[in-house]
Amino acid sequence: MYKKLLFLVIAFSLLIGTLFADNTQEEKGKFNASETILHHILDSHEWELFSLSDGHGGHKPVALDLPWILYSSRDGLAFYTSTPALNESGLFHASHGKVHALKLGANAETHTPEAHTDTTHTEAPAHTEHHDANIDETVKVYDFSITKTSLQMIIVGIVMLLVFSSVAKGYAKNKGQAPTGAQSMFEPVIMFVRDLAKEYLGAKHEKFLPYLLTLFFFIWFSNLFGLTPLNSNIAGNIAVTCALALLTLILIVTNATKDFWMHILLPPGVPPGIQQLLTVIELLSNLIIKPVALAIRLFANIAAGHFMVLSLISLIFILGKAGESVGGAISGAAIGVPFSIIIFCLEMLVAIVQAYIFTLLTTVFISMAMESHDDHHHAHDEEHGHEASEVNKDLRLSDFGV
Amino acid sequence: MGLAGAGAGLAAIGAGLGIGKLAASAVESIARQPEASGDIRGAMILTAAFIEGVALFAVVVCLLAVLK
Repeated sequence: MYKKLLFLVIAFSLLIGTLFADNTQEEKGKFNASETILHHILDSHEWELFSLSDGHGGHKPVALDLPWILYSSRDGLAFYTSTPALNESGLFHASHGKVHALKLGANAETHTPEAHTDTTHTEAPAHTEHHDANIDETVKVYDFSITKTSLQMIIVGIVMLLVFSSVAKGYAKNKGQAPTGAQSMFEPVIMFVRDLAKEYLGAKHEKFLPYLLTLFFFIWFSNLFGLTPLNSNIAGNIAVTCALALLTLILIVTNATKDFWMHILLPPGVPPGIQQLLTVIELLSNLIIKPVALAIRLFANIAAGHFMVLSLISLIFILGKAGESVGGAISGAAIGVPFSIIIFCLEMLVAIVQAYIFTLLTTVFISMAMESHDDHHHAHDEEHGHEASEVNKDLRLSDFGV
Repeated sequence: MGLAGAGAGLAAIGAGLGIGKLAASAVESIARQPEASGDIRGAMILTAAFIEGVALFAVVVCLLAVLK
């Protein structure tokens, strides 16, 4: 019990420590909650872990500098170890996560090393203005950097690899016996996803099961990873969820039957004028709205959870006037900490529910695309009215549609 | 800023009504048929997540309105 309590206290103090990392707001004696929260939600080229006092009343963030990997037609492939190194190179300029190429030879005197560490938010506008003249808009820079989110995705991947290779080994070792260890922990979840796939995809579920299981566990693990005080926000990044939804779209399109396309392009049983209208609607709904809604649902759920927790923790600094009022800080903590524990518990549920929903909808969309109406036509639709069974089936599936 | 707050409130009202109705019917059906409570609970959580998703769309739009 005491151990658990101690763990909770340490976890929360780490979380609060990451909030303190923004030293710039405190200089003004004012705490800018939305800026601090955004700083934690957005992707960046540094991984801020916590911050230490610098001895002069300020705070020094302890951050992992992540490498910049850039490609441009002018300079080819370029590699920098950190943001300051990038800005000192004289070739590129980075601010607020965006990178621009600089005009060559015109900017020697404008580069002061301390100007562009990302922590100096207050000075940033003046300096970007200063740099605008030097930015070479004609050079397109492609950013392939390992950012915070991609590093965290790699970590989640490694963790999954370790966990599931031990699960797989367990199945080889305990053949015909009761599962042990991690295997018995994950077996019910794996069976759950398998039954889900079986229900919607029937005999073909084995072909999709590896992807569906990977998808489910990746979303679940990255959501759980986002609940640790490591400043991680993987599925709360819209690029990540868009990529996942794009994979679903690719699976829909590559597995679509002729019947599916015919249903979209020439919806049966409607008069000519309405048919064209329906074609447009069906095309939009199947190829754009469904994947986009899938991406936004996951992104919004996870990002909103982080927003809620960070806002509640920010209460300490808002009411405490950024460290000036101790009483305010205590009352802020009294409100914020219990509520954020509640939100954390809710988020643990949301982590698995959102993984489940994403997997379920992917499965349903694939099964809708794979649906072939041939068996109906041959079996019993010739003698009975085939509208009835069609409508039933469509109703069942559209219950889960967008 | 104020309008965005009102929008978040409206979204919360809609989602609250939706989840309230959902929970009411789910509890009713569990009372009628306690042996199906597992299935009903699963369907309830799923639908609740969909409703929540719609509410969160609104939250995202409000946040964009506030922050941009």
